[in-house]
Amino acid sequence: MRLKRRRRRVIELPGRSAGALRYFAGEALAGLRRNGLMSVAAVTTVMVVLLTVGCSLLLGANLAHIAGALEADVQIVAFLHDDLSADAIALVRRRVADVPGVSAVRYVSRADALARLRRSLGGDRALANLDTNPLPDSLEIRVADPRQAAAVAGALRGIAGIDEVSYGAQVVDRLLALTRGVRVLTAAAGILLGAVAVVVVVNTIRLTVIARRQEIEIMSLVGATRWFIRWPFLIEGMLHGSLAAGASAVLLASGYAITAARVAASLPFLPLLPAREVVAVLGAILLIVGVGVGTAGSAIAARRFLAA
Amino acid sequence: MVSLQDIVKSYPHGVAALRGITLRVEPGEFVFVVGPTGSGKSTLLKLIYRDQIATRGRVYVYDREVSRLSRDDVARLRRRLGVVFQDFKLLPARTALENVEFALRVIGTPAREIRPRALRALELVGLEDRARSVPAQLSGGEQQRISIARAIVNDPPLLLADEPTGNLDPNSSWEIIQLLSRINLRGTTVIMTTHNKTIVDILRRRVVQLDEGEIVRDQRRGLYAVEA
Repeated sequence: MRLKRRRRRVIELPGRSAGALRYFAGEALAGLRRNGLMSVAAVTTVMVVLLTVGCSLLLGANLAHIAGALEADVQIVAFLHDDLSADAIALVRRRVADVPGVSAVRYVSRADALARLRRSLGGDRALANLDTNPLPDSLEIRVADPRQAAAVAGALRGIAGIDEVSYGAQVVDRLLALTRGVRVLTAAAGILLGAVAVVVVVNTIRLTVIARRQEIEIMSLVGATRWFIRWPFLIEGMLHGSLAAGASAVLLASGYAITAARVAASLPFLPLLPAREVVAVLGAILLIVGVGVGTAGSAIAARRFLAA
Repeated sequence: MVSLQDIVKSYPHGVAALRGITLRVEPGEFVFVVGPTGSGKSTLLKLIYRDQIATRGRVYVYDREVSRLSRDDVARLRRRLGVVFQDFKLLPARTALENVEFALRVIGTPAREIRPRALRALELVGLEDRARSVPAQLSGGEQQRISIARAIVNDPPLLLADEPTGNLDPNSSWEIIQLLSRINLRGTTVIMTTHNKTIVDILRRRVVQLDEGEIVRDQRRGLYAVEA
């Protein structure tokens, strides 16, 4: 019997007829107007949630972007002992290439290294009074996955003929850790604030249910289906969410555009995500989260207060 | 049309509203359910439109056992039966016409059918000229006629009326009863609870008398009370 009931349950979508859709939307808007202050409270609360989520998304995305840009530069430099013969260097080089995770190895002689140093320091004069070349021969090693840099560096230290290993990934590691931290915090704050927002939406919808109690009674008396009765409330919650999403998207997008422009002017070497690319994705995420929170709130309210 | 078989209905706090009711109503009948307050008259109607479920026994409406209906089937059942109440249950902010249209709209009636059907129902209760009035501008009798228009707008085979004249003066009550009789003559089965002795005695229809949750009399062409 129970199974049979479940199978028969029909969700009447508002798209079924234009008249019904207009009715649902009209009732939802009426609910929004009727509960003016509570609606504002609900929209504002959802907006705060979305602003928090949006800010941390932007922060996280940019940190990841910066980390990614730096990662592309990550390479390991292995300095060789001074007294190695050409054959010995070739042997070390082969051994290095065999280390798992290594994608490329390039030999830089001490002469090349000095020349490069001179160039990067701005001409010959900087190191002009240097009689001997203090630099060692070195191998520059690229790794396939920058996250393996530490492991590869460790393996290289064990190879005979290699004096010292350094890699520039420490910064990247910290950035990635920061990104992870931001994400965890975002998730925690988002869940907490999201729960609060859901509660506010539930209460706003509850007011609409109370205001429309008479209508609901008559609806069920004359044979309106459960879903027909529910839709206006669900749509009202979705409206809370979408209004909040729209408002927070506008705020965040303009805020980000201004901030990004300032950063670009004062810290040009920091590779931020361009505002144009960010806005569409951000807006979509905010809309999904906002509508999700609103719908969750109104669905809970409908379950609890339309149970009769 | 309606069949109740050995119905017991007790409420959570232990009060037995109905104790062992068996009743059969045939299509086209007009049935008065009479009895003192608290004798279970309203409960009887509520079981039929599935506002309540019997504690024991079976309720068949249109040959379907209503306690087994899913919620959506209950909604469909209610589209095929009209219910009228003592307090009219009209929406105060809406006009007479809108009140009737509301009943059509919320069951998904196609938009272009709504207006003509609502107007036809208002015509049938003789209130087409008050279509634009809100309930507060109408007399009690007129409000009850609006609620009857709403109840019959879907042409239900069965009309339930719970003390429809309970709030009305004798003239209005008489109008309502004539209206219900007319609806009955069109073939709609009517089951009506009432306290109104005069009406029952003039109409001489089937009378089912309840007392403390039991049927103590079921009489064709009956009177409100058995003569002493």
